[in-house]
Amino acid sequence: MNTQNLIESLAADLQPIKPIQPRNGISIVLATACVVALIVIAIFGLRHDLRAGAPNPIVIVRGGLLILLGLATSFAVTRAARPAVGQGQNGWGWALAAALMLPLAAVLIYCSHIVNAEPFVKGEMDFAYGPYCLGISSASAVLIGAVQTLWLRRGAPTDLHRAGWLVGLAAGSFGTFAYSLHCPSNSIYYVGLFYGLAVGLCAVIGRFVVPRLIKW
Amino acid sequence: MNVSEAHLHQLMTRSLAGDAAAYRLFLSGCQMWLTRFYARRMAPSQIDDLVQETLISVHNKRASYDPARPFLPWLAAIARYRWIDQLRKTGRAKEVELDDTLGVDSEEDVIAAKLSLDCLLDQIKPEQASVIRLVKIGGLSIAEAAAKSGQSEPLVKVNIHRGLKRMAALVESE
Repeated sequence: MNTQNLIESLAADLQPIKPIQPRNGISIVLATACVVALIVIAIFGLRHDLRAGAPNPIVIVRGGLLILLGLATSFAVTRAARPAVGQGQNGWGWALAAALMLPLAAVLIYCSHIVNAEPFVKGEMDFAYGPYCLGISSASAVLIGAVQTLWLRRGAPTDLHRAGWLVGLAAGSFGTFAYSLHCPSNSIYYVGLFYGLAVGLCAVIGRFVVPRLIKW
Repeated sequence: MNVSEAHLHQLMTRSLAGDAAAYRLFLSGCQMWLTRFYARRMAPSQIDDLVQETLISVHNKRASYDPARPFLPWLAAIARYRWIDQLRKTGRAKEVELDDTLGVDSEEDVIAAKLSLDCLLDQIKPEQASVIRLVKIGGLSIAEAAAKSGQSEPLVKVNIHRGLKRMAALVESE
């Protein structure tokens, strides 16, 4: 087929189309994250301090960082869906750096044996919860990531690997946040290790799975 | 045919609303712009196919264009994606010997491509560039390249892999 014939056939196929809206992408992901959080609460229950309306400070800190990372990476995903040469997309890196403060704080506290940190890390480091944390967080992230990937398929991401990392990070952050509403641990060691593992695992899964689904 | 930013932007905006006449003009303008874009990057025989593939991508992905933003950076991003995809396909394709009866056209593009390649090879580590030259350009086997470069066979493979990866990253960041 020569190019002129191709142009004629594409013009004949033309339908009015609405440009994709980043706010729709964000809204869909947030709505899915809310539904997933409600499902986790319905199945596993809400933390007792959240139920009582007096959350432990670490619950607020970890939740806030996970939401921040989820939002920043979701915004980056919506930007990736509408490509343009010369468009910077590195804002999410700052949110990732902020979220890395949790595992970093855990390592620092562990290494320096800060006595005053004792009340903050009082929650026991219970490895028995670890597999639950990883399982529930990842399963939650799969649902959120699937919805985000479906939305992203309408766009035109040009760096598929980065898009995969971003979807994995966003889904992992929101999925882990959903689990954190149930998670009984108050230990910074636990949060640093298992939350970090959960988000990291989701990011790696996103890196390897998502590019195949969004290739165009 | 006017292929300025303002003209293409206006045609694209009308095309999104379903104006087929504007869309024909728009695609013709894109065709001209893309032909120029690829002329500096591809062998002449591959340009038409790549322009057509890119026009199909422009058609399929037109919803990803935001009319509030400039048009050409979007088109350039789509064109670059298709170009890199084509380079990857070419890299994976089995090489066949050229028929001696094939005619020879101007060598200008071949020289330009070689200059680009040399430029990329200059930007990676010398030990990677040397084995890429020996195996991928010179056609030597891994064993022959290992003997000639003084590197072990596994190291030759690693250096080729890392060198090509680095070159692909350089192309993508261009």
